[in-house]
Parts: sequence; C-alpha cells; structure tokens
Amino acid sequence: MSQKKYGIVLDAKNCLNCKACTVACKFENGVEVGDEQYRIWVAEKDLKGTYPNLRLDFEPSQCQHCENTPCASVCPTSATYKTDEGVVLIDYKKCIICKACMTACPYDARFVSEVHHAIEKCTFCYHRLPEGREPACVETCPTKVRVFGDLNDPNSKAAKLLAKHDTYQLKPEKNTRPRLFYIIK
Amino acid sequence: MSAHDTETKQGMVSAIKSLITFNKDIPVMPLIIIGLVLAGIGAVTAVVVLVKGHEAMYAVNREVPWGMLIGTYAYFVITSTGLAFIGGLGHAFGFENFAKIGRRIVVLATLVLLAGFTQILMELGHPVRMIIWMMLSPNFAAPILWMGVFYSIELVILALELYYAFKAHPTEKDHKTAAMLGFAAMVVGTLATSNLGFVFGSLTARPWLYGVHFPLFLVVSGITAGAALLMLVHNIAYKFSIPEEYKPSMDALAKLMGGGIGIMMLMYLWKFLTSIFTQPIGSYESAMALIAGPLAANFWIGEMLLAVIIPLVILLTAKGSTKKYGIAGLIFMIGLYFTRVNYIVAGQMPVMRKATDGSGVHADLSGLGIYSPSIAEWGIFLLGIGVAMVLYFSAEKFLDLKTPEHH
Repeated sequence: MSQKKYGIVLDAKNCLNCKACTVACKFENGVEVGDEQYRIWVAEKDLKGTYPNLRLDFEPSQCQHCENTPCASVCPTSATYKTDEGVVLIDYKKCIICKACMTACPYDARFVSEVHHAIEKCTFCYHRLPEGREPACVETCPTKVRVFGDLNDPNSKAAKLLAKHDTYQLKPEKNTRPRLFYIIK
Repeated sequence: MSAHDTETKQGMVSAIKSLITFNKDIPVMPLIIIGLVLAGIGAVTAVVVLVKGHEAMYAVNREVPWGMLIGTYAYFVITSTGLAFIGGLGHAFGFENFAKIGRRIVVLATLVLLAGFTQILMELGHPVRMIIWMMLSPNFAAPILWMGVFYSIELVILALELYYAFKAHPTEKDHKTAAMLGFAAMVVGTLATSNLGFVFGSLTARPWLYGVHFPLFLVVSGITAGAALLMLVHNIAYKFSIPEEYKPSMDALAKLMGGGIGIMMLMYLWKFLTSIFTQPIGSYESAMALIAGPLAANFWIGEMLLAVIIPLVILLTAKGSTKKYGIAGLIFMIGLYFTRVNYIVAGQMPVMRKATDGSGVHADLSGLGIYSPSIAEWGIFLLGIGVAMVLYFSAEKFLDLKTPEHH
C-alpha cells in the first residue's frame, strides 16, 4: 500500500478567473468541446458588499477525490476505483454509462464523454505523475492558486500549506472527506 | 437423433401447439395493431438513437442525468413485481380470488417485465458491457448490481411459473411447486422493487431521493399498479362485461388497489411534510418543484388527480361495478406514469452547485436543473408501451389465459 496521499490545497483569493486551468485541462486530457463537457471549473461566487465597496471571489474546483467515495460505491462494475494514492479514476472499458455515479456525486464533477464513450472526470492528470509532472491545471496557473502534492509528505508544499493555514472542504456535511482543501482567507 | 429424442421433440411440439388457440371472443386485434404501430415507431427511434448516439438524441444532461427512460423502466418493472406479489398471494397464501386469475397474472407480470427491459437497454450507454463486467468485476456494494441480480432471478422464476401455469394435467406436486414459485416471485419481486428504490434512496447527494421513502413507496405503488392493471386487462378481455365468476376476484383487486392508494396518500403526506417543514436543503427545492415549480402540472394533474383522487373516488363510488373498476385501473395506470417520472426528475432538479457564471451549471431562473424529454425519449417510451401491448394482447388472443378450475 502506497503511503502517498495526493491532494490539492487551493488559495482561491489568488484566482484571477483567467480560466487558463480549464483550457489547460481540456487540451491536456483531450476533453471535447461542449458546455457540459468539462473536468474543472471556476465558479463566480456571489458579489459581496455594497457599491462602491464590492468584492467578487472565485472558486476553482473539480473532482474532490473523496476518501469516502459515493461515486465508486454506486458503480455496479467497479469502473470507478481508487488508486493506492487515493486518486479516484475510471476504467473506461468497464463503464456502462448507467450514470449512477453522476447522480451520486455531490459536486457535479462527472459527465458523459463522447471521446471515451464512458463517464469522465478529473484524474489529477494521473498520467503525468510518474514523470514527476504536476496536473495541467496546477502547472499552468499564473498565480499558483492550486498546490498539488503528497499530503503525507511533511516536506511537500501542499502539506506545509495545509499545516500552516486553516482550510475548509466543500460540502463537509456529505461526509465525503474531499482531498481538495481551500485556504480560509 | 435417437428415437427417444424424436419422440421427446414431437411431444414438446404438440404440447406447444396445444397451448395455441384463437380466442375470437376476445376483441384485442385493434390493440395488437396499435401496439405494433407504437413498437414500430419505437424500433425506428431505437435505430436512430443507436446510430446517432444517446448524447445527440436524449435530453438528459449533466444536471439531470436520469430522465424519462429510467421512469418508464421503473413504471414497467415495478408494476411487474406488483403483479408477481398478487400472484404470490394467490398461489402461496391461499387467496383464492387471486389464484383464480393466476394465469393472467403470471403472463402479464412476465411480459410487462420484458417491456421494462427494452427501456433499460436503450437507457444504458453499454448494455452488453454491463452483462460482461457485472460478472467479471462486480461491485457488491452497488444497488444497481443487485437490481440486475434480482430482476434476472425474477424473470427466471416467472418463466418457471409460466411453465407450471400452462402445464397440461398438473399433479399435486406441480401445485406445490407452483406455490413455492409464487412465494419466491413475491419475495424476490419485493426485494427487487425495494432495491430499485434503494438505487435512488442511496444517493446522499440527492436529499429528495435519499432515505427509506422510495424503497417502500415503490413496493406499495407497485402492488397497487398490479391490481389496477389486472382490473383493466380483464375489462378489455371481456369487453367491459366481466363474467360473474370473476366478480369476487375483481372486488378483491379493487380493495387491494383502494388500500394501496390509501397507503400511498399517507406516504405522500409525510414525505411532503418532512420535505417542506423548516425547508431542508435539497428536498425542499424538489418538493416545491413538484408543488409549484416546473413539474407542478405533471404533479397535480398526473400524479395527484389521475393516480390518486379520480381512481379513489371511482373505486369508492363503484358499488361493485367491475366496469368502473376497469376505468379506475386505466386512469390510475396513466397517472402512475407521471408519478414514476416525476419523483426521479424532481430529485435531480436541485443543482449540486449554484449556477453562477463559470460554474458550468445550467439552471432555470429559480436555480433548478432543466429537463424536458426529447422526441427520441418519447419514441423509446412508445417502444416499451408498444412491446407490452403486442406481447400481452397477443397472449390474450392466442393463448388460453383462463385459469383452469382445479388450480
């Protein structure tokens, strides 16, 4: 069993909403064109304050690579599975497109891919990791919003950020225990 | 081929020939023809869907991935297990009024189940892959895996029940076996339906669907549907003038259906109150989508008026009229279709994150996910209805569905 535990720590206040991450993801992973076909997104939060003192925040996100994985639990053919490092992946050849995982995911992180003829989602660019490369969204971000790393390695930048800052996770009430941590401003 | 083999083969052929008859008194030819037309439209649609792909032809989307076809599938297979439940009451528990119509029950349950399978085959992206990988790489925690297991077993049990229902000169042992099969169909059918409820009830992400309500509601409404459909088909077969000998059976079915609607009403009451009281996130939005949102017409007219109020009023005022039972059954079966589609769609309408710019989420002005069935989905629905009509009314026309006296 690998001792690695991959995750991403995000400092969303640095996000410019340039969407370079979403473009990089599409190119890196060959995601087809279409407004329902995307692995990651940058959502605008509600406008805060009153004129002229206004603030607009952004929340970049993707598959949370949950430790308690509802999408894998409902998959009848075990097409969705977790690697030893905790990365949630899909074995496309086993996927029957029953879409149970899409209904089970509380983050709307999955979609039907016409390229793979299967359900698709963020893989943390798992194919790049053996080369020592970071996920495309992490690598391309001009303001380094996302920091990817082994959360079990105390020397990794992600683990250090996690130790240094208070963070929150999305929808903690669902008890999915996501691997994405957002730094509290 | 040995002489013995030839003899066996000839015996089987003559046994099958003896089953086939032509019931000129049963006026179902127009219904068979209508069924053929509907199934034909559905078959053409299926070919177009297979050529162009689900994504191009169906209106289900990222926010609402399950739509009309899952609803139609549920409509058929839950009705089938409801029928099997009623058959079990007759065969295994000695309810003579249901045993008397045993043949119709088992034929209808089998053929309605087959019609349901057309829907799931056209809904799944890879039905062939499903058969392979469910065996090679099963996930025993997944409710859908058990759905496949239970409904497959149910089909085998129904096939065996069919054999015994039509066996010439059944022995005492055959009756005992049939009783055991009836009991098995009842148990497995109930497990299958409640597990189908758990396919939805296991989704913590979807508060409207999550929990114990739907596993139980589907069982209750399935038995109610079984009773409604039996009263309808008996009326059709006997030109809305059911013979006196079946009157007690129809009275018993009417009571079962009325009681079923009563329990459904009770479950509706508490489902809606718990979903509205203090506005729990997710289920509140779903409940309001049904009561006063995009699904309101389907809910009030289809689900409440056609599947609850009108049939119940007809049953309560029928005064033993089997014709009125049939009309109540017909109206209920139309309304129940809305019930099946509504609950699935309503459960997915609350989106998983707010539909702000960049979120990628598509929602209407009230923030709910958007879904309206496409023409192709209607076409596949017609395939299911057409197949059910052709199969069942052909059985009425060409088989003797009158249960023998000794049964």
